[in-house]
Amino acid sequence: MNELLSASNLSFAYSQTPVLKDVSLKLFAGKVLALIGPNGSGKSTLIKLLCGHLHGSGQIIIKDRPLRSWRKRMLARTVAYLPQSPTYIDSDLVSDVLRLGRACYWSAFGLESEQDLAAVARVSALLELDDLLDRRMDALSGGQRQRVFVGRCLVQEPSILFLDEPNTYLDLKHQVDLLKLLQKLAHEHGLAVLLASHDLNLAGAFADELLLLSDGRVAARGDAQTVLRSEIIGPAYGLEMAELNESNYRFLFPKLQEQQEANQ
Amino acid sequence: MSKSTARRLPRPWGIETLLILIATCAIGWAVVAIACLMVGSTGIGWPNGDVLELRMEWTLVASLVGASLALSGVTYQAVLRNPLADPYLLGVSSGASLAVFLWSMTSATILAHLSQQAAAFIGGVATLAIVFSLSHRRGKLEPLTLLLVGVIVNAINGAFFLLLFHLGGQQDIARAFRFLAGGLQQDLTPAQVWLVCGSFVISLVSLLGMSGQLNISMLSEAEAQSLGVRIDRLRWASMVIASLATASAMAISGPIGFVGLVCPHLGRLLVGNDQRRLLPVAVALGAALLAIADAASRRLGQVPVGVLTGFLGGPFFLFLLWQNRKRAEGQR
Repeated sequence: MNELLSASNLSFAYSQTPVLKDVSLKLFAGKVLALIGPNGSGKSTLIKLLCGHLHGSGQIIIKDRPLRSWRKRMLARTVAYLPQSPTYIDSDLVSDVLRLGRACYWSAFGLESEQDLAAVARVSALLELDDLLDRRMDALSGGQRQRVFVGRCLVQEPSILFLDEPNTYLDLKHQVDLLKLLQKLAHEHGLAVLLASHDLNLAGAFADELLLLSDGRVAARGDAQTVLRSEIIGPAYGLEMAELNESNYRFLFPKLQEQQEANQ
Repeated sequence: MSKSTARRLPRPWGIETLLILIATCAIGWAVVAIACLMVGSTGIGWPNGDVLELRMEWTLVASLVGASLALSGVTYQAVLRNPLADPYLLGVSSGASLAVFLWSMTSATILAHLSQQAAAFIGGVATLAIVFSLSHRRGKLEPLTLLLVGVIVNAINGAFFLLLFHLGGQQDIARAFRFLAGGLQQDLTPAQVWLVCGSFVISLVSLLGMSGQLNISMLSEAEAQSLGVRIDRLRWASMVIASLATASAMAISGPIGFVGLVCPHLGRLLVGNDQRRLLPVAVALGAALLAIADAASRRLGQVPVGVLTGFLGGPFFLFLLWQNRKRAEGQR
């Protein structure tokens, strides 16, 4: 397997509060890795460390080079990042937002080439955004807008894609559509995808590997069958969990009745 | 590439497009400027000899100041991510005004050996230095902090100004008032005009060079970084360049309101949010608008230009906001 990123022994603290402790992971071309874990477990911090937005201890190697030795523009052509709440200007057109993804290829004066526009057109066709190119951002639905932001990342033509809770604000149908798209990008286009998710079952259904963070440490890793177990997930979230096996998928849900009784 | 997509995507922003836009803007400004030359205090017609020379100088200086203010306005609004940001937000205007008042009051200090323009420039730059040094944190400039520090320093300068106003004599106040009213000065030396001109050209070329990255500065810091932009470096460079352009323009004009605020918005109505198109268009609009205001001031018996732009700029800005809202609602 083609290893694109290797992180070893990552630790990070905000002031005196440790957030990540000794986390190691690898990302491979064509694979989706889902980061799961409760709020405050360090998922977003880990992604920010891997992008180089935060600096902690440990080592991050991207394509055989330490992260710190990458020039920002070159890194942007290799790694794309979609934050939890991407920024946009209401009056911007979809085509404007997509074109911003090519900023790391522009020369001085923001000069673009035909290749820049060709990349935008390719991504627009891939994500079925052709009919939306002239629409303003504030005229899109939440699902369409999220697709545009994924498009902005893909226009960078990266090898690695980081997404921080990309399903936030999306209904179930759009969540499934987005995860199918990410799976397709990994499996058919060879991207390494790392996404943080709060939906254990959807993450388990679409990711090739899950990594459970609990209190800043790796609590479990492996495929859905290995990680999505009540005795692993339950303690991490502080909930009693029930399991359901259906058509080769394992689903987990909290035992609400027992929980309510325990609270009483 | 599918044909439909190719049709919807505009042409790439290549060097030809940039040069065509700059040429169009220059021609548009030149047409307005020539029309302005025909406006005199007693009537309208083509002037001759010394009158033409004088009007040319006034029109060029007005255009230079208007262009500088619009250039700073676009940059401030992009970097501070605030559509209400204007070139005086960081205290250039209050610092320069204070310095000019001090200069007019005293003949004992070092300021008295300078020209009024030099005093204004030093006052503006000194205030900027204070604002920047108070705003940065470990070398990073945060837009919100910069904005707040600017507002506070402006308020303190205002208090000092009132104190001096209270202490000053009638003559000093009258002398400083001419500067404060925002009038293009008519006793400038060629060296002063050339200095402002040089400062404007350097600022324009540098900011045009950064205009692609200025688009990214509207996004969050994390997004800008992941798109390959060194956001701290960009903020420092663009804000310092834009502020120096404002300070040097203000030294020869006094505080002229609304041009730096309105022109970026007017430009946005014409060419959208893309800073690469917006910068040259807003600069041309700034140059043309102040040339028109200067001509109008001539016709109206030398009413200070700053008074005219204030009277016309406010309602015009409200009109722009109303237009923008109507257009946004229409597209939904």
